[in-house]
Amino acid sequence: MEKAIDRQRVLLQHLRPSPSSSPNGSPLISASVCAAGDSAAYQRNSCFGDDVVVVAAYRTAICKSKRGGFKDTYPEELLTAVLKALLDKTNLNPNDVGDIVVGTVLAPGAQRATECRMAAFYAGFPETVPVRTVNRQCSSGLQAVADVAASIKAGFYNIGIGAGLESMTTNSMSWDGSINPKVNVFQQAQNCLLPMGITSENVAHRYGVTRQEQDQAAVNSHRKAAAATAAGKFKEEIIPVTTKVVDPKTGEEKQVTISVDDGIRPETSISSLSKLKPVFKKDGSTTAGNSSQVSDGAGAVLLMRRDVAMRKGFPILGVFRSFAAVGVDPAVMGVGPAVAIPAAVKSAGLQIEDIDLFEINEAFASQFVYCCKKLELDAAKVNVNGGAIALGHPLGATGARSVSTLLNEMKRRGKDCRFGVISMCIGTGMGAAAVFERGDATDGLTNARRMQSHNLLSKDAIS
Amino acid sequence: MPVFKTPFSGYAVRFSPFYEGRLLVATSQNFGILGNGRLHVLDLLPSAGAAGISEVAAFDTADGVYDCCWSESHDSLAVSAVADGSLKLWDASLPPSANPVRSFREHSREAHSVDWNPVRRDSFLSASWDDSLKLWTLDRPASLRTFREHSYCVYSVVWSPRHADVFASASGDRTVRVWDVREPVSTLVIPAHDHEILSCDWNKYDECCLATASVDKTIRVWDIRATRAPLANLAGHGYAVRRIRFSPHRESVLLSCSYDMTVCMWDYRAEDALIARYDHHTEFAVGIDMSVLVEGLIASTGWDEFVYVWQHGTDPRA
Repeated sequence: MEKAIDRQRVLLQHLRPSPSSSPNGSPLISASVCAAGDSAAYQRNSCFGDDVVVVAAYRTAICKSKRGGFKDTYPEELLTAVLKALLDKTNLNPNDVGDIVVGTVLAPGAQRATECRMAAFYAGFPETVPVRTVNRQCSSGLQAVADVAASIKAGFYNIGIGAGLESMTTNSMSWDGSINPKVNVFQQAQNCLLPMGITSENVAHRYGVTRQEQDQAAVNSHRKAAAATAAGKFKEEIIPVTTKVVDPKTGEEKQVTISVDDGIRPETSISSLSKLKPVFKKDGSTTAGNSSQVSDGAGAVLLMRRDVAMRKGFPILGVFRSFAAVGVDPAVMGVGPAVAIPAAVKSAGLQIEDIDLFEINEAFASQFVYCCKKLELDAAKVNVNGGAIALGHPLGATGARSVSTLLNEMKRRGKDCRFGVISMCIGTGMGAAAVFERGDATDGLTNARRMQSHNLLSKDAIS
Repeated sequence: MPVFKTPFSGYAVRFSPFYEGRLLVATSQNFGILGNGRLHVLDLLPSAGAAGISEVAAFDTADGVYDCCWSESHDSLAVSAVADGSLKLWDASLPPSANPVRSFREHSREAHSVDWNPVRRDSFLSASWDDSLKLWTLDRPASLRTFREHSYCVYSVVWSPRHADVFASASGDRTVRVWDVREPVSTLVIPAHDHEILSCDWNKYDECCLATASVDKTIRVWDIRATRAPLANLAGHGYAVRRIRFSPHRESVLLSCSYDMTVCMWDYRAEDALIARYDHHTEFAVGIDMSVLVEGLIASTGWDEFVYVWQHGTDPRA
């Protein structure tokens, strides 16, 4: 074995000259370029069957908090519904699941962890399947999916579930205890305490996003979400939840089945939005109409190694290609996607132009408009079925919700739609993004194409 | 044009100097990192299209085969450089059970290159990762001489096509050395690149002209009478250049293969030096040769386990 390691070392030197053999200290080839797949449209992984694929992704309807369909539903019921749907719809043996990771933000940590463990039992998972929570604020759901993908890649287990859960009815944004006075001398720490709406005003002000643009984005979001709902596009991804609602006036309890997002207002128009007053700043531009809605909801994504999925005969909905979380200035936390998307796309070995579909969370229209402009995205590729302004933004669930929306839309669009990106900004100044690929588009191992003509130039000369 | 699938990763390919369509292919299991090796003797079938290669013989070894060459004195003899450090002599006219005919075991590490003396035709040289070169004849069990000056793996050794006693060696110590068997030490040291040098070859028409190929992705052509600067610096490969061969038919043409998976043909005197780029391999291209007997006939092999033989200017995969 020593000999094999020695041989690898000698051969690796041919590909990666060591600094000692490079007199100017800068090696001509760096290993990281290689890792990114040299911008090729496929990774080596697919032919080895050891990449991570998404088999199924479901969500509940997203409902307005305190007034919507889930206002009287226990949070764990929402998670139970999507976990159970994964088992029922795929016929997955629950014993095969290596871990359930739930992104969840506002609830007290230990209580929510307990609720999630209970939800797994309600859904029919045996005691042998572990559960944990993860909190990266608004990207928690996506972080949960990324954590599962990373654990599968690391070999901790072969099948895992990444989920997200938020009941903003039950838990609201609040601060326990007193604030350390030290923040007063530490600007960045202080900015972490800014209300999200103020950061939105900061983005609008710093990058010149007008009220008009923001209202237009909000109208578009509602219009597209309403059209998608009317066309039944969400039917595949939404799991109906049977629960109760209490009439606030009569106190009467009623059994209902919630299967439609209730925050969408198809009649929204520029003129109706322009009447709204700014909420956070007197002369500001962020209103209740061009911000994301406060909502309840849950989502769950089933991931596994490709060879396991193929062996067990599961369909491959998508491939988890890359993930990146980045930090930005807390005062303008909404710019996160503008930094995170290029990072994730690069680590997938792709370029922005290669991406066919984007799900960018509309925390505020200001930051959403800024990120699209900054990345020069084609509006026809972004949030084609609406976003959080219309659907709502149940913080911890949004990432998992986006996975089901994105992959189902990619499935509908066919093979021309090969790569999709999910991204969101994160309170306290961060951004996260992930790249997904449609499941049936992976290149097989093919020999190179016929060389049609020589242009008598080397590749280096062309680039 | 003909294609042949080998079970192991290709490492070297050589045309027979005696038969137009005969090839020797050295292969190693698991990319030569660990496992067995196999030496294939192949024949091109005339006018049989893409399937037109048949295997005449195959010889197994207990470790990867990194290089091979035909004897210049006998049409069925060939010698191979094996990763366990041994050099094995094979007779293609004898069955596998009677092979190898000889095994020479002196190198303490991987043998990486062999070359048969094309002028006197009585001896061959070997280069090894133990930093040494050795001179051998078939009538002696031990090497005639060991050349020990390089300070890192010696990757390539090649006899001068004109002088019976002169040869050149390329090493990971970033030098190329020119030796005369009659002299006690090397006669010339060229610090030819700033990175490891993986291959070298003599010009078949100009006895003073030598080409080197390096991890720095370039090929350099040298006049050994004036080595302060190269005659030509050929850039265009995307990764280390693994092997180069001068054309036996055209003075200024040479062929290269690289870790960038391509095989390239160059005219080092032309302004646009790159004549052709063949990207038919899907893994590292490590073995190439040009036929002496058929002008323009090229063979290549690589870690994708394919051997391609084609006429220059045509598509290897056609």
